[in-house]
Amino acid sequence: MSRCIDKMYVNSNCVGCSQCIVFCKHGAITARGRAVISKICVECRVCISYCPMKAIQPGREA
Amino acid sequence: MTEKAKKAVVIGSGLGGLLTAAQLAKDGWSVDVYERLSLIGGRFANIEYNGYQLSTGALHMVPHGTKGPLATMLRELGADFEIIQSSPMAIVRMPKNSGETDYKNGYEDTSHVDFKKHLTSKNKLMMVLLTLSFNAGLIRPGKVGFKTWYSKYIHDDRIDRCADSFTGWALSTTADEVTTREVFKIFRNVYKYGGPGILVGGCQTVIDELVRIISSNGGTVYTDMEVTRIIIQDGKATGVIAGGKVIAADLVISDIGHKEAWEICEIDGVECGGASQVSGFSNPAFKEYEEKLAGMKPSAGLKICFASDEQILPDGCSLMLTPYTRRINGLNEVTIADPSLAPPGKHLVMCHQRTALDRLDKIDEEIELGLEDVKDLFPDKKIEILIVQVHHGRWPVNRAFSGTDFGNKTPVSNLLVVGDGAKGEGGIEIEGITFGVRDAMKLIRSMDR
Ligand SMILES: Cc1cc2nc3c(=O)[nH]c(=O)nc-3n(C[C@H](O)[C@H](O)[C@H](O)COP(=O)(O)OP(=O)(O)OC[C@H]3O[C@@H](n4cnc5c(N)ncnc54)[C@H](O)[C@@H]3O)c2cc1C
Ligand code: SF4
Ligand code: SF4
Repeated sequence: MSRCIDKMYVNSNCVGCSQCIVFCKHGAITARGRAVISKICVECRVCISYCPMKAIQPGREA
Repeated sequence: MTEKAKKAVVIGSGLGGLLTAAQLAKDGWSVDVYERLSLIGGRFANIEYNGYQLSTGALHMVPHGTKGPLATMLRELGADFEIIQSSPMAIVRMPKNSGETDYKNGYEDTSHVDFKKHLTSKNKLMMVLLTLSFNAGLIRPGKVGFKTWYSKYIHDDRIDRCADSFTGWALSTTADEVTTREVFKIFRNVYKYGGPGILVGGCQTVIDELVRIISSNGGTVYTDMEVTRIIIQDGKATGVIAGGKVIAADLVISDIGHKEAWEICEIDGVECGGASQVSGFSNPAFKEYEEKLAGMKPSAGLKICFASDEQILPDGCSLMLTPYTRRINGLNEVTIADPSLAPPGKHLVMCHQRTALDRLDKIDEEIELGLEDVKDLFPDKKIEILIVQVHHGRWPVNRAFSGTDFGNKTPVSNLLVVGDGAKGEGGIEIEGITFGVRDAMKLIRSMDR
């Protein structure tokens, strides 16, 4: 089993609107056409409620 | 009113939803606005990034400025806001030497008024004749694409490029994706109301004022409350389920689009993703509505926001059209109107490029082409790219390509749609939303009688 901690992931609903970036106070999100959440994410989950596409989910992509 | 106020539920706190809610609250309705996100304003809200006031969608721009439909409606509601008109209305960046198709060898910036000097006298005359004939009702091009129509009379690469640049910037379409009738109606409105302006404080000024007006008239805007059902019984909307609770209502307004609202309707206890397919709903009105829904396409676009140490456009003019780029159609230097939209000494520019729907799977390439355009347009400026934003699908530039909107009505008489899936004719973006809201209010006031 992987020992990697499950962070947040961005599902295929993401359109790349970049709205989430500014709400992540940890600077963990970048987006050029699609959002990418980096390892520095602290799983505070703040970004979830700012995504208009329900694209950010806890856990890892299946 | 002596009896209890009637209840209206508005789904979504976008501009269309808030404009409608404010009018309903002023008319004496008890109004609840439910917003799914933690943020109010939909695609017309400010988002702050490193001291820059960026936005969730719009370029902080009001297409017809101070005298336009939105500004008029806001004044009627008692909103406090300021729009700085772009003067001249726009600058068009042309290649330095005629015959060139890019800006590599330099450029010449002309005001939109002087642009005509780039045309032959025959084409100038033709443009005047066509406009006069259309206005006099002598020609009725109807639903033909604008470019297909004018190409019968005018052949000029400069006109083709400028037409695409204008429709790309204003509507996120090519000149052929919008009907000739719609383009002429838009031109007529530009003539009637004037050109664009930038909101002091950005989009947020309007959103904050609308929330203030709704609240001071007894209404409430709830955030983090998703509407998951619209309940329909015996052909009438009786309420919604918001945040898991049933909220009874006499009127339901969708600011989330026609399709999106129809999908969450529950008709006589049956969930309806497509009512006409559900046995027992042989209602021809549902079928007809669903056929219309199937034809509604959202438009896509890409926005690149950059910061510059130097001002890019001349004083007073906040809009530039760029017909000779690869992708960028036009840009707004919003700090020309309101320097406080950027940190002191910095300038904020928002570029818009229409994106073809069949290029969405190659969005990386589209972004690269846009970024190369920025370099070519401003080779001598120190530029910092702040953010790249893509809008399509369910978070589009426009829920319906301009000219394809089909009004506020649904098959359920007290369920109406506002926002950019229900724009009025000839209305660019939020001006079209305003026309749509005006029409919806007319319907509501006549129902009420
Ligand atoms: C890149 C870009 C640039 C633009 N530039 C301009 C411009 O400069 N000038 C201009 O006039 N127009 C511009 N537009 C268009 C303009 O921004 C939009 O037309 C307008 O903001 C849309 O408003 P709306 O009322 O349709 O609602 P929206 O903004 O779509 O708001 C709908 C709201 O409903 C919420 N919602 C969705 N589902 C639910 C649910 N089930 N329950 C509760 N809430 C829900 C959403 O979260 C959202 O907040 C631009 C658009 C984009 C994308
Ligand atoms: S807000 Fe949602 S859709 Fe927009 S870039 Fe972030 S994850 Fe993607
Ligand atoms: S969960 Fe928190 S830290 Fe992680 S990306 Fe979202 S906002 Fe940033």
